[in-house]
Amino acid sequence: MNDKRRFTRRDALKAGVAIAGAGALEAANLAAFAQAWAQASRWKPEKGAKLQLLRWKRFVQAEEDGFMALVAAFTKATGVPVTVLNESLDDVQPKASVAANTGQGPDIFWGLYSLPHLFPAKCMDVTDVADYLGKKYGGWVPSAVTYGRSGKGWIAIPVGYNGNLINYRQSMIEKAGFKAIPQDTAGFMELMKGLKAKSVAGGFALGRASGDGNAWVHWALWAFGGNLVDAKDKVILNSPETVKALEYAKEMSNHFVPGCAAWNDSFNNKAFLESQVSLTNNGVSIYASAKANAAKDPKAKEVMDDMNHSLWPVGPAGKPTEFHIAYPMLGMRYTKFPQAVKAFLAFTLEAENYNPWLQAAVAYITHPLNAYDANPVWTSDPKLSVARDCAKRTLTAGGLGSVGEKAASALADFVILDMFASVCTDRASIKDAISVAERQARRIYR
Amino acid sequence: MNQSTRWERLRSNRDWLGFWFMLPTAAFLLLFLAYPLGLGIWLSFTDARIGNPGKFVGLENYEWIIGDAKFQTAVFFTILYTFVASVFKFAIGLYLALLLNQNMPFKAMIRAVILIPFIVPTVLSAIAFWWIFDPQFSVISWSLRQLGWIDGNINFLGDAWNARWSVIFANVWRGVPFIAISLLAGLQTLPPSLYEAATLDGATRWQLFRHVTYPLLTPIIAVVMTFSVLFTFTDFQLIKVLTNGGPAGATELMATMSYNTAILGSRIGEGSAISTAMVPFLLAAIMVSWFGLQRRKWQQGEDND
Amino acid sequence: MTEPAALARPGSREDESVGMSYLSTLPQRLVTLYLPLSIIMIVLLFPFYWMTMTAIKPKNQLLDLDTHSPFWTLSPTLEHIEELLFKTDYPLWLWNTMFIAVSATILSVVASVFAAYAITRIRYRGAQWIGGSIFLAYLVPPSILFIPLSTVVFQYGLFDTPFALILTYPTILIPFSTWLLMGYFKTIPYELEECALIDGASRWQILTRIILPLAVPGLISAAIFCMTLCWNEFIYALTFINTTSQKTVPVAIVTAFTDGDQYRWGSLMAGALVGSLPLVILYAFFVEHYVSAMTGAVKE
Repeated sequence: MNDKRRFTRRDALKAGVAIAGAGALEAANLAAFAQAWAQASRWKPEKGAKLQLLRWKRFVQAEEDGFMALVAAFTKATGVPVTVLNESLDDVQPKASVAANTGQGPDIFWGLYSLPHLFPAKCMDVTDVADYLGKKYGGWVPSAVTYGRSGKGWIAIPVGYNGNLINYRQSMIEKAGFKAIPQDTAGFMELMKGLKAKSVAGGFALGRASGDGNAWVHWALWAFGGNLVDAKDKVILNSPETVKALEYAKEMSNHFVPGCAAWNDSFNNKAFLESQVSLTNNGVSIYASAKANAAKDPKAKEVMDDMNHSLWPVGPAGKPTEFHIAYPMLGMRYTKFPQAVKAFLAFTLEAENYNPWLQAAVAYITHPLNAYDANPVWTSDPKLSVARDCAKRTLTAGGLGSVGEKAASALADFVILDMFASVCTDRASIKDAISVAERQARRIYR
Repeated sequence: MNQSTRWERLRSNRDWLGFWFMLPTAAFLLLFLAYPLGLGIWLSFTDARIGNPGKFVGLENYEWIIGDAKFQTAVFFTILYTFVASVFKFAIGLYLALLLNQNMPFKAMIRAVILIPFIVPTVLSAIAFWWIFDPQFSVISWSLRQLGWIDGNINFLGDAWNARWSVIFANVWRGVPFIAISLLAGLQTLPPSLYEAATLDGATRWQLFRHVTYPLLTPIIAVVMTFSVLFTFTDFQLIKVLTNGGPAGATELMATMSYNTAILGSRIGEGSAISTAMVPFLLAAIMVSWFGLQRRKWQQGEDND
Repeated sequence: MTEPAALARPGSREDESVGMSYLSTLPQRLVTLYLPLSIIMIVLLFPFYWMTMTAIKPKNQLLDLDTHSPFWTLSPTLEHIEELLFKTDYPLWLWNTMFIAVSATILSVVASVFAAYAITRIRYRGAQWIGGSIFLAYLVPPSILFIPLSTVVFQYGLFDTPFALILTYPTILIPFSTWLLMGYFKTIPYELEECALIDGASRWQILTRIILPLAVPGLISAAIFCMTLCWNEFIYALTFINTTSQKTVPVAIVTAFTDGDQYRWGSLMAGALVGSLPLVILYAFFVEHYVSAMTGAVKE
């Protein structure tokens, strides 16, 4: 059952063991498909092409394994070797910017949110690839179009999303008197109060956690109708809705476990896995990690059995206001092998490649194309099915405004996150925090 | 010797030789220090971004940062951090030097071991501190809880002032050995006859320190503290690893803010302005340290002014 | 509290404490000397003890402070260190760092030998001023210069190569080692050079045959201190080097041990520990040189 040839010893114990058995079969299918695909593909890689791809470092080992299998199949089919470089999530953007500036570096970047919009002129036009994929697989979700397009054409392909969901311990919310996560903000506040009262408090990151921190503060801001900018990119942060959002967050933070202000993206994982926090927000990586260690660690098994994921509550704004991470893949204009790049981008989202990868990623990746709703990973484990619609539900970086360079700057500067953090840690009054953020935003959005 | 050619004269001409001998140093310092310095000042007057050389915008970057609350906080904390850490480093370093100057067994080994925090790369010891100050899993919190002194975990890095004291502590921890060993060397050059004479005259230990040790040490103190102030003011590594400027910018230094703005936020012009703004502060800090600690008249035996 | 000093022995200049130490009694010394010294030493060394403990603790004991004492472990494991050495690029990073440090040190020491000699002996026109201005280099430390320097490094085509660091580190190292060597050169009696000059030796010969052999302790001190400064440098290494395989040890350990949002704590600490070892070993062999480097410069 364990196909040890394809995975290292370490990986054999991780999630995806079941996939490994199927993986051998898939790999054979993959190779066959890939050959056929290479013959028929519109984009024939250049002779002697070699690609270098820089991606964010994996959160779930099995996802990376699935991706590397995909890459290997591509190389086998087209003869184009692809070197995959890994960098930590926060480092991808500066490195991509540097490469764009110097005109040299990896051919493909796989980053987050609106990375391509930081330097749209330096990105390859991939409209043809996007149109092809959209037509073939049931159309793109709206946010993918927003993230991928710049002006009239597409400058990136949003290959996947990462759903940032409420991770919670069932036994602990039951202690507080709840059977499930309330789907309205008022009820959610009651839950947080209850958890704290029973000494099983929850907590959200208030440090510069670009994934988890940004996810929850943007949810809070939008849930109450607040927005950084309007559709015309005019700063509208200073509004009663923003004040309400901040008041809500401040109230909620009074019921957090202590220390959240020092949390970056990894601290809530660590705390949750050690049962030090009952509720937090994260991708499915906590669950994946617990599952991977469940066999040899009873604590991990306990966490795995007891935990679950939930969608975010809906606030006075009346509709879901979630903020999930989009992972666009973009080709750089300076590449010597544009056809190879396009071939790779198209290859990645072809069903025969994407489906196994989605499954291997155990719901860490959510699809941007509607046809993939049918992928078995969404029904394999009930705890993972909530992640299926993340791409459809998410709002885009920049909220109502453009998803371009300005939104990227605002995220990189933690304008919203710092505003919430300074209010929740009592470093500034609500009014002052808003005015500091507003001033920063005005400068970014000039 | 009468027929020394022009070449021979040139070869032994001081200026000519001096020029060639200084050339390697001059090359490094001009290419990689002076030119970038000028470039940095120029960049601070543009709106350059990563990937975009930008255009001249005059003082706009400076106007912006002066009015920015985050920058003001960074300046405040940089000055506070430098001042407080330097005072502690000086006091503890001097005390440690006085201790080490006394006779004791294993002196050389103790002295060698004391320097280890200074030898080890800062970021690596910062990683250890990061965990020691962990919000949930700190060994200090755990120990104090076991002793029954506190109930919950100490929020070392999540509360603004706690975080500030924590990083100051880490900085002092790292800097004390350097100061101690340097001052120790200075102490060892002090002639013992002075101490003997003073003790004969009935001086107490405190008086010995205040009237003999300290004045004679002043020139060394001035040098050591000036270096220390300089390194503390421009510190980057410790804060970057421990808190990255958090929580909510409470421990942001000008150096880390400059990095975050220029490299992570892609705004080179603004980041350069922050960096350049450090120079006058740095100059002022060094002036205070250097001239404030020098008491040249002491050395020459005149009355203090 | 005064005591008769009639029995004062003339203490050596090196260790004047001997002269007066008989004046204090053992209990007194215990409280005023040994106790504070021990406390300070414990505080200074605890983080390293912690680093070591954490690096050899099995994974499941790391975060569980209540069942397993944080202060020691009954089942030490080498798995983190093994993972560090064999499953990450640590050997590569170590090589990078050593290569960069050694090269930069050689360049800096050579340049500062020439500069120090020129300033102290050749005494060309304006030598004092130029000598002083070298130390102005410290007014613009790396955390001020890194932004424009990164642009300069692009322009020279050095970005993401070790040469970016090898050529920029001397700006930090040269002022200090020049200062140090100036001090050493001044202690060499000028008469030796005079004789050589009279005998017709060129400056170059004087430098290599006379001065350098006599200044070897100074050279070693300067080299050791430069190596330490190179290892300790962070911001240039962070900014100028992008590819993980090219990184130096401090930067790699801080950035390479995360799987997205999970830190590999054991490996991180093992990395911190093992990353510190080369310097500590080097230091252990050359303690005296190191200390004289620090103090020699300071006394100038």
